[in-house]
Amino acid sequence: MADVPLSPGFTAARLSQAQRAFESVLGAGKVFFEPLDRTTYADKFAVDNAAHQPAGAIAPSTVEEVQGALRIANEHRLPVWPISRGKNLGYGGSAPLLSGSVVMDLSRMKKIEFNEEFGTVLLEPGVGFYDLYDFIQKHNLPYWLSTPGNSWGSVIGNALDRGVGYTPYGENTKHLCGMEVVLPTGEVVRTGMGAFSGSPSWGAYPFGFGPGWDQMFVQSNFGVVTKANMWLMPEPESLMGMDVEFDRPEDLGAMVDTIAPLRRERVLQQSPSIGNWMRAAAVVTRRGEWTDKPGALDDSVIDAIRKRFGIGWWGVSLRLYGREEINKAAYKVLEQAMKAIGPMSIKPTSWVKGQPMEYSGWTGTPITYAMQSANWYGARGGHIGFSPVIPQNGAAALAQFRRTYDRYREYGMDYQGSFAFGERHLTNVNAMNFNKDDPAMMARIDPFFRQLVADARAQGYGEYRTHLDYMDLVAETYDWGGGAIRKLNETVKDALDPNGILAPGKSGIWPKGQGRRAGEQS
Amino acid sequence: MKRLMMLGLLLAGGAAIAQAPPPPKPETLASRPAATGGEALYLEHCASCHAPNGMGTGLLARRVQPALLEARDNLPAQYVIMAARQGIGNMPAIPRGEVSDDELKQIADYLAAGPHEAAQ
Repeated sequence: MADVPLSPGFTAARLSQAQRAFESVLGAGKVFFEPLDRTTYADKFAVDNAAHQPAGAIAPSTVEEVQGALRIANEHRLPVWPISRGKNLGYGGSAPLLSGSVVMDLSRMKKIEFNEEFGTVLLEPGVGFYDLYDFIQKHNLPYWLSTPGNSWGSVIGNALDRGVGYTPYGENTKHLCGMEVVLPTGEVVRTGMGAFSGSPSWGAYPFGFGPGWDQMFVQSNFGVVTKANMWLMPEPESLMGMDVEFDRPEDLGAMVDTIAPLRRERVLQQSPSIGNWMRAAAVVTRRGEWTDKPGALDDSVIDAIRKRFGIGWWGVSLRLYGREEINKAAYKVLEQAMKAIGPMSIKPTSWVKGQPMEYSGWTGTPITYAMQSANWYGARGGHIGFSPVIPQNGAAALAQFRRTYDRYREYGMDYQGSFAFGERHLTNVNAMNFNKDDPAMMARIDPFFRQLVADARAQGYGEYRTHLDYMDLVAETYDWGGGAIRKLNETVKDALDPNGILAPGKSGIWPKGQGRRAGEQS
Repeated sequence: MKRLMMLGLLLAGGAAIAQAPPPPKPETLASRPAATGGEALYLEHCASCHAPNGMGTGLLARRVQPALLEARDNLPAQYVIMAARQGIGNMPAIPRGEVSDDELKQIADYLAAGPHEAAQ
């Protein structure tokens, strides 16, 4: 095991001891420490291939096995990195933040308990969107999922990382309703009504009595979530809406200022996402079909791509869900509002229960084809995302776009940006598509990303989610009160995880004596 | 195979590209209830990307025909195992915690016995 990555202060002998202990508790068929295992759990989209190397992996399939594995990790002071299914590509995938960690792969925990009357579902972390979709199809249940653009991953894993879908239930983390969590020291706790023995309302009422803890286990390293309830949207009677294209970059401001009030008023109950031409085009074409010039694409190439596919500089899809009569009335409101700001085109869509369905994120259908954009450069592709939270305001969005677009051109990268609505905010998702076979491009990614973080910080904008490489960097930008939130996180971390074994460094939260708290630089 | 060319023309969160046919329904175990063994495991673990509406099928269609793995008559089992465990192109590696060696062998044997009627 000479070449096995080890966490600071760890030894190969101790790792061998821990491996044997895992095998005694889980069985050899759930313990993976071969060299090939380490490469299979690495980050496929890594910018720095040397970072985030796992020492091995384990795959417990029951709550008791998770408890047993954490007991061993505590005994050996071995860092463990839990993943649900490890498919959050662009944020680190299945790889641990701290090299030498053992990945705890929960993808074999796939139980589904569905309450058809209330549309709640109790899921284990290995249940993927396709698994749940399959369950719904098999049992002909009248509910729709809320799926992300890459639906390969875990349903609750996505919600625990604050991923989003495109239906009215699209802010997935808001539809968690009570969890079962194994704490780092092995105790099991249930949150919300799950704390009440025999309650029939665990999946129905999220708060329980006293403090609510669900969000404490979101984007954190305070426990291993082994079950979570989620709410599903009842199949609507009708789905109506429009795909709207706009011709000019500066149209973004009017788009935001027109859609935002409709979203806040809840005429629009789903969260639209305004995307630039490349978000649409990169799925269906590759850069090499248009130019071989290095650097950011010039306007003539952009114009040619847009003309070929009939798309605007920006596009947005608006959808209405529910009773047909209500949707028809709301559609008129949307149409009037959008026509008033001079769109290039409006393409209406309409579906009523019983008609052939559109199999896309709008109907909660799991999809993976949107990830074809990773092949934009034609070689071994990948991407990471820079995604600050900004005000729901047209002028602010336009300024953020111009600032970011200038940086993309300065660093010679093709701009793929979107502005995703919440109810009161915008998340400005900037995808950095890259070519892993282009060393010069790969060398630009890290300074480019850090520049964007600095630019956003100067405006008061912080990221909602980030790749393993930048968790410390982003956590540092949340600096109010002398880093008061960091100190609170560290106090909780030290209380719940005294040996510092669970996902050290996740979201910038380090145990005592490790990482930044040991004086290491991010 | 014509429907493969329809793939990827509609974004989940973005506007549709003009005149693009809609993507087909995902294939899962529920769509082939009689599937067993390697075919059932293929549907569970591979079809999200390698069924007609998947990323893998869309990217393979840019350089090889047929793009559907179940329609291929030239996939040796060992090649399937190597591609899954090491990753290939834009496909991430599939670790043993997710698909065991025994399960992967059943999937590989199923694909090696292709082409299969289900893909026609």
